[in-house]
Amino acid sequence: MSKASPVPSADYAERQQEQESRVVREKSRQGKGRTYLWIALFLLPFLLLYGAFTLWPLLATIYYSFFDWDGIQPLTSFIGVGNYQELLSDPLFWLSFKNTLIFAIANTAIKLPLSLLLAIILTRKWLWGKRLFRTAFFVPIILPVALAGQIFSLLLNPANGAFSAFLQQLHLIQGPIDLLGQDSTALLSVILISVWQVFGQYMIYWMAALQNVPEELYESAQIDGANAWQQLTRITLPIIQPVAVIISLLAVINALHVFGIVVTLTSGGPGQSTYVISYLIYTQAFQNVPFRYGYASAGAVLFAILAFLFVITQAYIGRKVGATDQTAPGHIEKEQKA
Amino acid sequence: MIVKLLPKNSLRYNLIAVTILLAVAYFWVYPFLWAISGSFKTQAGMFQSGASLIPQALDLSNYSRAWVTAGFNTYFLNTVLYSCASTLIELFKSALCGYVLARYQFPGRNLLYKLIVATLFIPIASIIIPQFLLIENLGLLNTRTGVILALSGAAGALYVLLFEGFFRGLPEEIFDAAKVDGAGFARTFWLVFPLAKPIIATVIIFQFIASWNEFNIPLIYTISQPDLRNLAVGMFSFQGEHSFDWTGFAAGSVISFIPILIVFLVFQGYFVRGLAGAVKG
Repeated sequence: MSKASPVPSADYAERQQEQESRVVREKSRQGKGRTYLWIALFLLPFLLLYGAFTLWPLLATIYYSFFDWDGIQPLTSFIGVGNYQELLSDPLFWLSFKNTLIFAIANTAIKLPLSLLLAIILTRKWLWGKRLFRTAFFVPIILPVALAGQIFSLLLNPANGAFSAFLQQLHLIQGPIDLLGQDSTALLSVILISVWQVFGQYMIYWMAALQNVPEELYESAQIDGANAWQQLTRITLPIIQPVAVIISLLAVINALHVFGIVVTLTSGGPGQSTYVISYLIYTQAFQNVPFRYGYASAGAVLFAILAFLFVITQAYIGRKVGATDQTAPGHIEKEQKA
Repeated sequence: MIVKLLPKNSLRYNLIAVTILLAVAYFWVYPFLWAISGSFKTQAGMFQSGASLIPQALDLSNYSRAWVTAGFNTYFLNTVLYSCASTLIELFKSALCGYVLARYQFPGRNLLYKLIVATLFIPIASIIIPQFLLIENLGLLNTRTGVILALSGAAGALYVLLFEGFFRGLPEEIFDAAKVDGAGFARTFWLVFPLAKPIIATVIIFQFIASWNEFNIPLIYTISQPDLRNLAVGMFSFQGEHSFDWTGFAAGSVISFIPILIVFLVFQGYFVRGLAGAVKG
């Protein structure tokens, strides 16, 4: 339970017991009913919005997925698992699925190590201009996706964009280059632009994680003659490992949900080469006439299941790797906890 | 003390690191600089200048065109309203829920906790249809209330978990002290709530940025009321029948990202500490 939660804690069970005994004490002091009334009152605002905008829509989506429905006619045409059968034999679904996985894996594999590296550099005490650099690398995330898409479309425009002009000035390319218009480079460009956009968020996550590493450990390691690489692999990584699992989970989940950047940069093209699942769902439900809410809903459900399996596998591997990691620099870990 | 911690050759380190960082950071923020400089360029200058950031001729009319003609004055006020309202709602509901989850046992507590964690996995695109039908049935389509509700309804699982982690980590003595003072349920919460400043700052930054930049919700929910749109959607009013007003668009971009930049700079210090406190558990 505590391991599955995004906020892990070694002494979770202990605290829970503490809590229980405290509640018992409280119960003897004042009425149990009154406490429950307060609890209900505190939960009410969240539960109302959560139920209306998350739980109910989720159940409704599952329900719609068994119907052939355009969103306008009454919901009468029950077709069982028909939508699912059609999806599984739809090449566009599998292409979108493949692209989404490539996007999620490549995006995560690029943004996580780079943002960790930068976070380590930007938390060094000796570095000048920390605030300036932190702001510079964080800033793309404040740009609306729609805007980022527009700006990059123009920058990468082969006819008069700044990117082509710059590369030609450097004589790296002869003629103009159309990165978003070619099958071979479109998905990669979208992946890299997305890395640029979300990078700052992960840098901040890593900086937060690094605050848990006591500075004294580095000092004593330096006295023992450990180099920078040894400090990274023996001190930094083992200590931030539990948080790293959570950060990489969030990274993969967010990447699997990629949508806006694809819409604004390529609209799934050229051809269908940058279709991702969210975009497929969107086109089926809101764009291609006749609207197919039922089919889109089935796509959403199937994707949620596949994404869930993917993430669970990743979490399992992450925990296994973590377990073996922790045995190597064990003494540091133990000192840390004591 | 701090001087002692510095490596002996910190000057050399700095010269290398700062040079590299400056070069990378320049390319990193180049699209911003390009938009800022574009907002001062003339239409013709925008396309002749290639990668250059220096406007050949200054044109300030882009800003007045964006602000008045394209309706950014209205969009700006809408965006401020949407962002502030949804941030307040998110703070309110997630702080209360996180507090109760952290400090009390009640029937269904663990189920609720697991549900909230599971919510992190749901692709937003997949539940947008029922959300839309709900707002429509409430008669809130094409109203500001509808947009605000939709903005604050779906998010929030992460915020609850952040608050839960923070309140769980508070030392027991604080609560004992509150009890000695005779503070009841609500009063105790009110006493410890200000301690959660780092989490509050984190939620404000995340939610404010997210709702300021939100595109799909304002677009779908104000489809027949363009004057209710926010800046992110309003950007597309520069798309003409046959042309795109790029310099007006650049000026609009600057108008829309300056306020967010200020929010980030103000809360930046708390932000990292807030996340650090939360992940410590």
